[in-house]
Amino acid sequence: MDYLVHSAGAQADINRRSFLYRSALGLGGIALGDLVGQRALGAAPAGTGGVISKPHLPVKVKRIIHLCMAGGPSHVESFDPKPELKRIHGEAFPESFTKGQQLAQLQGATLKARGSFVDFDRHGKSGQQISSLFPYTAKIADDICIVRSMVTEQINHDPAQAFMNSGTILKGRPSMGSWMLYGLGAETNSLPGFIVLTSQTKGGGAQPISSRQWAAGFLPSKYQGVLLQSRGDAVHYVGNPEGVCQSVQRLVVDEIGQLNGLAAKEHVDPELQTRIAQYELAFRMQTSVPDLADFSKETQATLDLYGVKQPGDGSFASNCLMARRLAERGVRFIQLYHRGWDHHGDIEKNMPISALETDQACAALVMDLKQRGMLDDTLVLWGGEFGRTPMGQGSGRDHHINAFSIWMAGGSVKGGITYGATDELGYRSVENVVSMHDLHATLLALSGIDHTRFTYKFQGLDARLTGVEKSTVLKALLS
Amino acid sequence: MKSFLSLPGAQTASVLVPSLVACFVAGSAASLQAQEAIRFNRDIRPILSDNCFSCHGPDKSHRKGGLRLDIREEALKPGKSGEIALVAGNPEASELVKRMLSTDSEEVMPPPESHKTLTPAQRTLLKEWIRQGAPYEAHWAYIAPVRVAPPQLREPRLVRNAVDSFVQARLEARDIQASPEADRNALLRRLSLDLTGLPPSISEQKAFAADQSPEAYSRQVERLLASPHFGERMASQWLDVARYADTVGFHGDQNQNVWAFRDWVIASFNRNQPFDQFTIEQLAGDLLPNPTPEQLTATCFNRLTMMTREGGAQAKEYLTKYTADRVRTVATTWLGSTFGCAECHDHKFDPISTRDFYSLGAFFADVKQWGVYTSYGYTPEPELAGFTNEYPFPPEITVESAALTKRMALLERRLGEECKNAAIPPASLEQWKATAATFLQTYPDGFERPVVENRALLAEKKDPQSVPAEAAGDGKVKKPERKKGPLELQIRPSAGWVASLGLTLQPDPANKANITRSGKDTTLKATFKLVRNGKAQPLKIHRAVADRSKPDYQNGFEVIGVQGGWKTNGVAQPHQAIYQLDKPLQILEGDLVQVSLQTGDAKQPDCDITQAALAVSPFVPALSGQFGLNTDLSDPASLRLAYLACTGADPAALTRIRVLERDWLECRNGSTPVLVTRATETPLTMRVLPRGNWMDESGELVQPETPHFLSKPAGAPERLTRLDLARWMVSEQNPLTARVVINRLWRQFFGAALSLQPDELGSQGEPPSHPELLDWLAVEFREKGWDTKHMVRLLVHSHTYRQSAQLRAELREADPANRLLASQNPRRLEAEIIRDNALAISGLLNPEIGGPPVKPYQPAGYYQALQFPNRDYLASADEQQYRRAVYSHWQRTFLHPMLASFDAPSREDCVALRSNANTPQQALTLLNDPTFVEAARFWAARILQNPDATSDAERLAAVSADALSRPFLPEEQTRLLTLLGKLRAEYRARPADAELLLKVGAMAAPQGLDRIELAAWTNLCRVVLNLHETITRY
Repeated sequence: MDYLVHSAGAQADINRRSFLYRSALGLGGIALGDLVGQRALGAAPAGTGGVISKPHLPVKVKRIIHLCMAGGPSHVESFDPKPELKRIHGEAFPESFTKGQQLAQLQGATLKARGSFVDFDRHGKSGQQISSLFPYTAKIADDICIVRSMVTEQINHDPAQAFMNSGTILKGRPSMGSWMLYGLGAETNSLPGFIVLTSQTKGGGAQPISSRQWAAGFLPSKYQGVLLQSRGDAVHYVGNPEGVCQSVQRLVVDEIGQLNGLAAKEHVDPELQTRIAQYELAFRMQTSVPDLADFSKETQATLDLYGVKQPGDGSFASNCLMARRLAERGVRFIQLYHRGWDHHGDIEKNMPISALETDQACAALVMDLKQRGMLDDTLVLWGGEFGRTPMGQGSGRDHHINAFSIWMAGGSVKGGITYGATDELGYRSVENVVSMHDLHATLLALSGIDHTRFTYKFQGLDARLTGVEKSTVLKALLS
Repeated sequence: MKSFLSLPGAQTASVLVPSLVACFVAGSAASLQAQEAIRFNRDIRPILSDNCFSCHGPDKSHRKGGLRLDIREEALKPGKSGEIALVAGNPEASELVKRMLSTDSEEVMPPPESHKTLTPAQRTLLKEWIRQGAPYEAHWAYIAPVRVAPPQLREPRLVRNAVDSFVQARLEARDIQASPEADRNALLRRLSLDLTGLPPSISEQKAFAADQSPEAYSRQVERLLASPHFGERMASQWLDVARYADTVGFHGDQNQNVWAFRDWVIASFNRNQPFDQFTIEQLAGDLLPNPTPEQLTATCFNRLTMMTREGGAQAKEYLTKYTADRVRTVATTWLGSTFGCAECHDHKFDPISTRDFYSLGAFFADVKQWGVYTSYGYTPEPELAGFTNEYPFPPEITVESAALTKRMALLERRLGEECKNAAIPPASLEQWKATAATFLQTYPDGFERPVVENRALLAEKKDPQSVPAEAAGDGKVKKPERKKGPLELQIRPSAGWVASLGLTLQPDPANKANITRSGKDTTLKATFKLVRNGKAQPLKIHRAVADRSKPDYQNGFEVIGVQGGWKTNGVAQPHQAIYQLDKPLQILEGDLVQVSLQTGDAKQPDCDITQAALAVSPFVPALSGQFGLNTDLSDPASLRLAYLACTGADPAALTRIRVLERDWLECRNGSTPVLVTRATETPLTMRVLPRGNWMDESGELVQPETPHFLSKPAGAPERLTRLDLARWMVSEQNPLTARVVINRLWRQFFGAALSLQPDELGSQGEPPSHPELLDWLAVEFREKGWDTKHMVRLLVHSHTYRQSAQLRAELREADPANRLLASQNPRRLEAEIIRDNALAISGLLNPEIGGPPVKPYQPAGYYQALQFPNRDYLASADEQQYRRAVYSHWQRTFLHPMLASFDAPSREDCVALRSNANTPQQALTLLNDPTFVEAARFWAARILQNPDATSDAERLAAVSADALSRPFLPEEQTRLLTLLGKLRAEYRARPADAELLLKVGAMAAPQGLDRIELAAWTNLCRVVLNLHETITRY
């Protein structure tokens, strides 16, 4: 029995009634109200499969690493050069762009153009344009696909992150990592299949982040993201209590299993078998998690590649190295949040700090995966929940939802291309506009899932990650 | 068991018509009744709703081919193509049948791109239904419940009440016997966990076992219904739908003062407040005539939306979010209907329109609130000027709390005991008393006010007024720039004890008689020093109180005292404060006491206050009530306390006393702020927002209206109010509320609801397994005055409830989900009860009712991603650590990991159905969370200290009874004895480990017990706390 115990042979677009029927048969009938899809059932096959036993589409990536630049990095200072904006720096921002549009902290203010404070160069054979704040990313220019035409619907951090993760601002909806895990399971049976790490900038621009961003919502809670802690136990309660050595813990866990086994003879309760299995898995996690956090076998060259000063210090660089270790161990969805891109003020001082904290490690991760032959089936996604206004806000920039940039690398994503474009001032995405739902549809497609067929019955409705409106898989980016 | 899992294909193979009997296998409530006549609501509507309504239902914007199948008259008309979907009595002529049987991918329905297919059984049912004339029924939940007489049974032997008649009638129809009654041990444990969320104690088990009267069971039911823990158990479910949490949820996720509402809910269940009143007070208590504080507290319900104070957030957008939250909550809680999708478009399956959504929202347009709970320059909110992230979320009122009053009395008792037991030599007490009395003769108010020796006067050195202004070259008089700095004073007190310092701020004529130079309020920091032989040493302050001040807040709570900063309160009157020294000071001849007053920030120290005076006192501030010193030397108890505080004698006792004092002060004289609903005079204008877009103002204006597909409130006035809505909710016009509430209640006692999804009774929900029973209970509930305890009593007295929870292997195929209820269902305990149960078993549980949120142990750093303000988590000290989980601090963005692991919702949104997972995190929690380790250790110590059980076997018997309400089976007993031996050997080999283990948790392990033995038993108790049976209600 595995960590992600799942219903054998269930279909992707589960019809709840038939699902109830299937699971109920396995249960011998219990608390069916609890059953809305979440029963751990029967013996799972090796590995931890999801509900999609047969992929809808060719599988291009087996795992996804999302490098979330939380707070919203400025696109005009990273991947979207705007000479015209620079030219009119300090002048009134043309009202034709902004009339009737939503603003955050700039509400009621006089809007002035703010040109980029950095320069852009062309990099790699592809000649991709990347700002001088990201010299390491420039080195992987030919491996990444830059998307300049992102848009989102939410202008404040908390809802925008929810929208980025779950495609909706309704509460209780699963994050994309949970959807992936639910659909596909993971290739590990001793670690959670969806893991989250956070780091914080030493400069300005950090914003809080909620655990709802990696919640399973209405999906069974075993699909929720597990936050790896930088302090104390990496996973909550994974360490033995003080004064309980491994041999005593083994005695305790064994005895729980034996007594539960005896109870299974007394009670017809299908949960008992699952419970027994979960204790075994818990015990395995108690071993595998410390191993995961043991960086001693990483070479100095690897540490230097990422720019890791002290492994496990909670820095973004260390988290990137951890991401690779998690990917190696078969974790399905890995999400790193760097809290440090909300540059309302002092952008010229703070954005370089955030870039310095992340640039080298992001590039290192791509290079490291590549040299290990893992980039072919791993997707790396870089980006924030929104972008920043081409209008200045004092010494910084405000939140911006009409245009921002992300990049992707790995799987069948074409490297060295730039997709989509914004207008001459970087205000609005105008060419090949990409919504969060399009991005979700694409991530699912890369993983072999047709987003229209991947649904979960909730409150009587077929809910899906991409929502009810039409979404498009970005086929132009894929080879 | 595995073989059952791979059966999906069997479903198609086994269904045959016309007998339809084999539909049984499909497991749904509908097919269970398939051998009875076809009924639209039970058999047909679910098929149409699932497969057809999306394109041929109520949502006009997505309707295809002009065909509507949810209304019979429409379905009988020709569609755009001219074909008729339903020809009553003639399946072959019906286009619906042709299309569903078509093999042409262009023709077949449902179309391939929908990824939906009809099973052969469903096709057969549809054909048969059309053959029978295609009769429709209004959706069951939208027609008023009607009470029918309970059916007569051939064999009524196991019928105890109407519940059993309905349940057993269905069993009898299939020749299935109900299960026998569970054994007494199991029954009492079930009843206790279901009614109070706590296991029966050994003495309760014994009393029940000894009671052989026919009323024995009833007596237990009555005892448990009367227990104050009944309210706690019932409250958890309600708090889920009410989305009750201690923090606001968005962005900074700051604290909100709402726990008085939680206590109100518990108290309401305990006093069995009729559910209609319960409803009315929560939705509209403020609109009742002369509302009581309790009725106002109830209106906190409307304020439990998530809230924000994020910079850049737009008030209008968030007001829209808050309204949508209220609509979803009210619809789920009382109507059991999913309104959420109607925020953007008409519901696809039910007759809920966007207009219904916004009209329901319009009832709450009068709720006083702000979109963003602070005032930013770009979005000014005059009433919230000066609000920081530390401020509360108004409007609030202050209410009295029985829990706090009770706690104050407890703390006072402890304070008295500490004073009584402190080491106080009688002679020195007398001497101190005499000196103090003398002092009071000289200084009747308790303060000595020596003349100011030194005054580092701003006026002397830095005040512009004292320096002659110079005329510049241009002849204009130029004031010199004022140098900034703190205001400092020194005084030389007489020799003797000083326990407090008095500080007075005075209006200054130079400031136009204001206290401050600027005339504005300021926050003052006072730091004190003792200067002895020319050397200054800082004086630490324990606490400070002021007669005039403005409140200051820390993450939503008003800070007690002014030691951290003293906010002036705007009046041009003297302000006085008393600063109690951390350690009383013995002043020697020649000592100076110095104060430095500062109002600016640390970088630019300055003082906006110009006139101040300093005094000293041998007394300390009175603990309670009026501002002033405690100079009462007459009361012996007070005298001892004063002596300890004023001399620092017995420092250990003083430290404990100060903790008690702090806790006592935090009870705030037995009152607490609570968020309430206050009606504004001018309700927000409400309009339909096209596609939910708050920036689009083109939608039609709406007034408060109940959903159009249900009967209207009787005698509706011009503009309906929340009170009208609340009364309508519990009126006969509304067919849903009673059913919805009973359906949820049923789930609590039977594991699964009668209609499986308590949050969706619409057409996408499940028809009830026993519709007549649900209606009978709904009518009973309403007719008996919405009496919740009456309904609980009815349910738990039924044989259906009292049956054994052994699932029936022989019914696995016939009734795999136990929808027929031939036995009880086992149920894993809810998150809160898992904690409460472990604490209760161990004996560590603190059964206090109510009060402020408590903080169980939590992994360090769990809140590190929280900001505005940054968060520290301090686990509750003393017995507050061992409170029930319903009182745990509920942080919406980071719910306690133990609660989250066991599926407690974050309560960001209304939840009527918790999930129920079985994960390794649960195992890790029960194994390693210090709460459970400490409980095991405390329990082990209790077992070892019991003089009546001294052998291993006797001790094991006690363990078993505590945790499982039954004796261990011989095989279990043998295994545990063996385990005990192994554990003893382990700890004998590593005695240091035993010491470490016994240190887990805040409660010290008792002395005098063998450490090895205690460690071994602790681990044995860990095993038992982790058993599946321990966390399951059978």
